[in-house]
Amino acid sequence: MPFTKESVEEIASLHEEPDWLRKRRREAFEVYERLALPSKIDEEWRRVDFKGLKLDEFRAFEEPNGAAPGVPIDGAAGVLRQRGSAPGKVDLDPELAAKGVVFLPLSQGAKEHRELVEKRLFSEVRPDRDKFAAVHAALFSGGTLLYVPDFVEIEQPLVGQYWSSGGGAAVLPHTLIVAGKGAKFNYLDEFLSPSLDQPALTSGSAEIFLGEGAQVGYVALQKWGRHAYQFANQRVHVGKEATARLFNVTLGARFAKVRVEANLQGPGGMAELKGIYFASDDQFFDFHTLQDHQVGQTTSDLLFKGALRDTARTVYAGLIRIEKDSARSDAYQANRNLLLSKQAKAYSIPMLEIINNDVRCTHGATVGPIDPEHLFYLASRGIPKAVAQRMIVQGFFGEVADRIPFEQARRLVAEELEARLG
Amino acid sequence: MAVVPKINVGDDYREKYGFFDPEKFTFKAKRGLTPEVVKEISWMKSEPEWMTKFRLRSLEIFRKKPMPNWGADLSHIDFENIFYFLRASEKPGKTWDEVPADVKRTFDRLGIPEAERKFLAGVSAQYESEVVYHSLHKELSDKGVIFLDTDSGLREHPELFKEYFGTVIPPADNKFSALNSAVWSGGSFIYVPKGVRVDIPLQAYFRINAENMGQFERTLIICDEGSFVHYIEGCTAPMYTTDSLHSAVVEIIVKKGARCRYTTIQNWSTNVYNLVTKRAVAYADATMEWVDGNLGSQVTMKYPSVYMMEPGAKGDVLSVAFAGKGQHQDAGAKMVHVAPNTTSTITSKSISKAGGRTTYRGLVKVYPQAENCKSFVKCDALLLDAESRSDTYPYNEVEAENVTLGHEATVSKVSDEQLFYLMSRGIPLAEAETMIVNGFIEPFTKELPLEYAVELNRLIQLEMEGSVG
Repeated sequence: MPFTKESVEEIASLHEEPDWLRKRRREAFEVYERLALPSKIDEEWRRVDFKGLKLDEFRAFEEPNGAAPGVPIDGAAGVLRQRGSAPGKVDLDPELAAKGVVFLPLSQGAKEHRELVEKRLFSEVRPDRDKFAAVHAALFSGGTLLYVPDFVEIEQPLVGQYWSSGGGAAVLPHTLIVAGKGAKFNYLDEFLSPSLDQPALTSGSAEIFLGEGAQVGYVALQKWGRHAYQFANQRVHVGKEATARLFNVTLGARFAKVRVEANLQGPGGMAELKGIYFASDDQFFDFHTLQDHQVGQTTSDLLFKGALRDTARTVYAGLIRIEKDSARSDAYQANRNLLLSKQAKAYSIPMLEIINNDVRCTHGATVGPIDPEHLFYLASRGIPKAVAQRMIVQGFFGEVADRIPFEQARRLVAEELEARLG
Repeated sequence: MAVVPKINVGDDYREKYGFFDPEKFTFKAKRGLTPEVVKEISWMKSEPEWMTKFRLRSLEIFRKKPMPNWGADLSHIDFENIFYFLRASEKPGKTWDEVPADVKRTFDRLGIPEAERKFLAGVSAQYESEVVYHSLHKELSDKGVIFLDTDSGLREHPELFKEYFGTVIPPADNKFSALNSAVWSGGSFIYVPKGVRVDIPLQAYFRINAENMGQFERTLIICDEGSFVHYIEGCTAPMYTTDSLHSAVVEIIVKKGARCRYTTIQNWSTNVYNLVTKRAVAYADATMEWVDGNLGSQVTMKYPSVYMMEPGAKGDVLSVAFAGKGQHQDAGAKMVHVAPNTTSTITSKSISKAGGRTTYRGLVKVYPQAENCKSFVKCDALLLDAESRSDTYPYNEVEAENVTLGHEATVSKVSDEQLFYLMSRGIPLAEAETMIVNGFIEPFTKELPLEYAVELNRLIQLEMEGSVG
């Protein structure tokens, strides 16, 4: 069934969603119908080419089939597994449940914890942002609600695994994370699918809310198959004295258009936005990042590093925005691109908009091949060129991979990168 | 007719800069832009037919092109309320004695005769749309260097002119280059023959001095193989009560092994829209350097660019922008690497004060065949108070292998430590701040000829007055 009003009703019924959520889907679908596809006249979409994508040819959801998703993560405190568009299944450490931690499929969370979900869902990732955000809000295929109450600390990470196995459908998971005052935990979202012939429309959007003094690590590991077109918005709302560490790893999909945004709303708030991408063959990745310092005494630190080979193309465009009254803010932004082939193309656009003078803002961008001197040095130590190249790329990613908030994700990303380097 | 908002450029403007002369023209075209006005301009200048056609075609393009929907706010420009052509005196003056006295007085204040006595080769001083004074050192003419106003260039060297005119910036490049192509008047035409080095800078002063008068000068510089020239363009403008438009086009061709430096100090009064297209093409082993200072105007949109067409070409932009109250300096640079083994650097320094806004907007583009290129961009911004704003929009588009591209930018305020240090030495706050600002732009000032550096420091001092305390 393509994207219609009926498919909106059907997916709401499939997840047995409450009426208010069903209504919200309907509203988002109206926005979807109203909005035109972004055009190349919009600066943000100027370098984006989704010619092969035909939105009206996708089925609105996907029956679960195929193998179970992903490798289990050692010692996870909670795991949610979702296949296709069916509601996910949750395992949560009973001790945590006893402490009031809520970890549920989003639809169930909406029913049982309306007070947590209603006012937050799609308030940071708004459906009217563009047509793809609208279709995500209208037809999101479940997802996760994680709520960690005030002052609860969770040592082991919580994990969401989303598995898609059918081409030709839309698979649009949504993660909603709410951290109470002083809560401390880490979360991993993993998006997986084999490469299929038919294109798929995917997302992997997240809204993360940090209460006063909360400390949250969030890792999104995207390994959709090469048939996927991904449009995702990951946005964190940082309260007073809170620290958010977002880590985006983009490896899969034929096409990925991802926004990673920090909305700094409380003094003392800190957002660390880090990213790794590896693009090969004809992959196209577009990252738009935003460090929005809405109040003063806030800090943000961004580093996105990418390697490209074959005919891959990537765009990085990041903006640091310091509002008029956001004095004593500190922002850093850097994008580094390593070109491993002649045909690979990397665009890098680090932008600043500063409306207060009592701040410190720096940014930098580089695009370049492997430094021949580095290769020469390693070759002079008897290391063959292919191995040397690999070592250099690993070293290049190492600087940022070390900042992945927790061990399990660090190991997982290292394994993935190793597999990609071959 | 649209209502043009009054802009207060400060009651003390006349005392500060002191350039204001009563209007006195021999010919003043009608306001507004029609094919008739364009034909009349061309007829007044007795131009060849191809130029008249070129102007009319450009007017068509201008009408079709939309206004840019990015960059600064241009919505207050009223194209129908502008004089597109003025001529202050009948003929270009050949010697200083022939220049009218009131024009001279203005130039005196700018220090031209002084500078000329010292070491200037030729002065092409533009007063109202057309060149009124022009002198060229005999030594240079003997070497075959052509330094004329652009109208004379078209008359006296029609073939050379036609070969290059409009080849670097075609009328259809953007709305304002189309406008300039339709109504251009004045500017400089320079040709430096093979292997000739012009050791002393060539200068021209541009002035606009009539209410609501646009100035559309057109400069064409051709540096033949192995030659060198340094051209200096300085602008100052007296105060006006309504918006003025300045939209110049500068085309430069730097051939094999040649080097060209183009220095600008723009200090229009703060109600001028300064929308300028400047572009150079650099061939094998050629070097093009833009040194660009933007202090005045209400809105500046200017992105000097270098197209590196053959291996070994080098592009360099060094720019400074100062935005005070109500000003928006949207300036930057474009480096287009078309050929392999080319290098470019952009250094941008900007200062915002009293609610002013500076924007760096730049592009580094490396085409797929342009391997082994290097480009480095550095932008530093200084915000002097909490009302001001600074933006940085650097576009880096790399499509070739083995390219090294770097970009760095910082935004900061005048550091408290530096102020404390200077004040502990007994220097008052205002003076200390001025010293720090002058130090901040020193990499720029030190590239200027001495008298310009002195003038720039003085201008910064004037701008900084009353900024603290």
